[in-house]
Amino acid sequence: MDIQFSSEEQRFREECRDWLNANVPAERRPMDAEAAIGFDKVWQRRLFDAGWAGINWPRDYGGRGLSIVQQVIWLEEYARAHAPWIGANFVGVNHGGPTLILNASEAQKTYHLPRILRGDSIWCQGFSEPGAGSDLAGIRTRGKIEGDELVINGTKIWTSFAHVADWQELVLRTEEGSQRHKGLSWVICPMRAPGIEIRPIRKMSGQVEFAQVFYDDVRIPLENVVGGLGNGWKVAMSTLSFERGTGFIADQVKQSQEIEDLLARARSSGALRDDRIAEQLAQMRVEVAALRAMTYRNISEVVRTGQPGPEASVIRLFTSELGQRLERMALLLAGEEILDFRYGDDDLVADYLRGFAATIAGGTAQIQRDIIGERLLGLPKSR
Amino acid sequence: MDLTLDSEQEALLAVTADWCRDNMPLDQARDRPAALWTELEAMGWTAMTTPALGLSHATEALVFAELGRHLAPVGLIATAVAARWSDHSGKTALALLDPYPEAGRLRIYDPDGAGNALGLVGHMVAMAVLPADLGGVAMLDPSAPLAHLEPVPPFEPLGDPRSALHLQLLAAAFALGCADAARDMAADYARVREQFDRPIGWFQALKHICSDTAVRCAVARSQLLYAGCALDADDADAAFHVAAARQLADQAAIENARANIQVHGGIGMTDEAYPHLCLKRAHLLSFVAPARREVILGEAA
Repeated sequence: MDIQFSSEEQRFREECRDWLNANVPAERRPMDAEAAIGFDKVWQRRLFDAGWAGINWPRDYGGRGLSIVQQVIWLEEYARAHAPWIGANFVGVNHGGPTLILNASEAQKTYHLPRILRGDSIWCQGFSEPGAGSDLAGIRTRGKIEGDELVINGTKIWTSFAHVADWQELVLRTEEGSQRHKGLSWVICPMRAPGIEIRPIRKMSGQVEFAQVFYDDVRIPLENVVGGLGNGWKVAMSTLSFERGTGFIADQVKQSQEIEDLLARARSSGALRDDRIAEQLAQMRVEVAALRAMTYRNISEVVRTGQPGPEASVIRLFTSELGQRLERMALLLAGEEILDFRYGDDDLVADYLRGFAATIAGGTAQIQRDIIGERLLGLPKSR
Repeated sequence: MDLTLDSEQEALLAVTADWCRDNMPLDQARDRPAALWTELEAMGWTAMTTPALGLSHATEALVFAELGRHLAPVGLIATAVAARWSDHSGKTALALLDPYPEAGRLRIYDPDGAGNALGLVGHMVAMAVLPADLGGVAMLDPSAPLAHLEPVPPFEPLGDPRSALHLQLLAAAFALGCADAARDMAADYARVREQFDRPIGWFQALKHICSDTAVRCAVARSQLLYAGCALDADDADAAFHVAAARQLADQAAIENARANIQVHGGIGMTDEAYPHLCLKRAHLLSFVAPARREVILGEAA
């Protein structure tokens, strides 16, 4: 057991740092949705061209085939350099892609993975429905098999980046009359297919980042099913294990930088002399350190066994709640100026408001606590 | 970089757990046999990081968390620090020296048969000779014999500043163990105790109290192992990481102990049941080499 990085890893860190110092754009990610998407695509393409996209993805599909430890080193340096948020590429890069690597056919991987890494295709998620939130198995969107096609009817909601996405990881019911976890399939849905209607939804932060999606006799080829017809629940769980496991490493690593930024701000403004603020900052600095230790432990586990340990659900919950406290502290340090926030501002107030998603999206904090109680402590399932 | 346990650590941990279960069960923490200390020393746990054995602090922290889970005598912490950083071998009692009692009484834990006592003064570990036949009596923590010493004997600093980090690390390990014990006790009870015709652990309100105990333990354990490695590597930030581990373990111990009593309901408040043993131990440990805020904020002189 040790915390030292190898000399190869340290050299890799130097490379990351040098490139980021020279290439991180000075301008902020634009607030306007259309402009932001262009920004995300250009930035992702630059990362890809320089070899920083898909660091631990297989070489055959455009990745670099390096270790997950190197991926984490990259993310640490990325946060330290205050490089831009991954934005619209989040779903493809952090869980759509990894789900394909694990479950998709050769043809699906060959087509989609390099496009995700290059920023050529934007992905969105189609899991939640108006009637299927925490109770994901209540999915009612259905796909009827007609010849070699699926005919899709229904609706999905809270779909981030739906209005700009090219593809969707869509979980739907492909077996008529099936119940709960059975009869579901995970399919790649082209978002420009006829019959898809997207109604953007504005968040309380002002951004229009998610939407409700309606499917009216949408026809997609049966070959877009990933992992086999009827295996949707299993494939969806692997997607969620990325979303809950390693998909948020970037967030975890970013918090290390955020607490240092907050501390520096509190020190220079004199707020640190306030005992209550000092106490809270000290507590968060300690928790961020522990989060990093947990992330490293989880990564070590992946290196050793090929998958995250059972404590991955703890990390997800802990990260989301700690992140919200960091955002609240930023608000507290800013003082009255937060009252001047207007829709269109992309600042710490917007971060605070959109940060409520952390304990809702990808499984609420309550669902995460159910999972921890049931899987780690063996408590009876209440669902 | 690897924070998983190696096979040697797994084996050592399994041996420790087995031994503790057979020889030092938590349910007998109030009434430890006099011969227990001799057996504990014979197991070699207080000498793990001495040059003779040369095991790592990370390994030691894992083992001490296991000992702490069975509410082992707190004197083990002081004895292990003395064995590593002084010429003194044999039982060393644990003194609470922070703040340093210029006048008045000094609290000494596990004094029976100890020649010396050791504790933290500021950033340094200091040691003093104890008068012979200083006997301890259980006070708040029924599993920790306590003596009051007056006047305060002269304490000599140990010299190496790492001794203070060592003491903090082992106190953190004991606190984590205490938190683990409370987590397991609460979950065990929530699985079997029935109300409304089902185990109470079925209800989210109770389940989530239990889940939070598991979160606190997982968080504190990761930081403890990281801190142990930082101390082993002589890392520039070792003092911060040990302090962080110390604080998280402390919070886990007290919050989990409180949660455990809540999950147990009425029986949890009784003298007869075991939850209060964890609570009282957690409060005692919170006074042993606590984390300092200036170290955590990186403002230490």
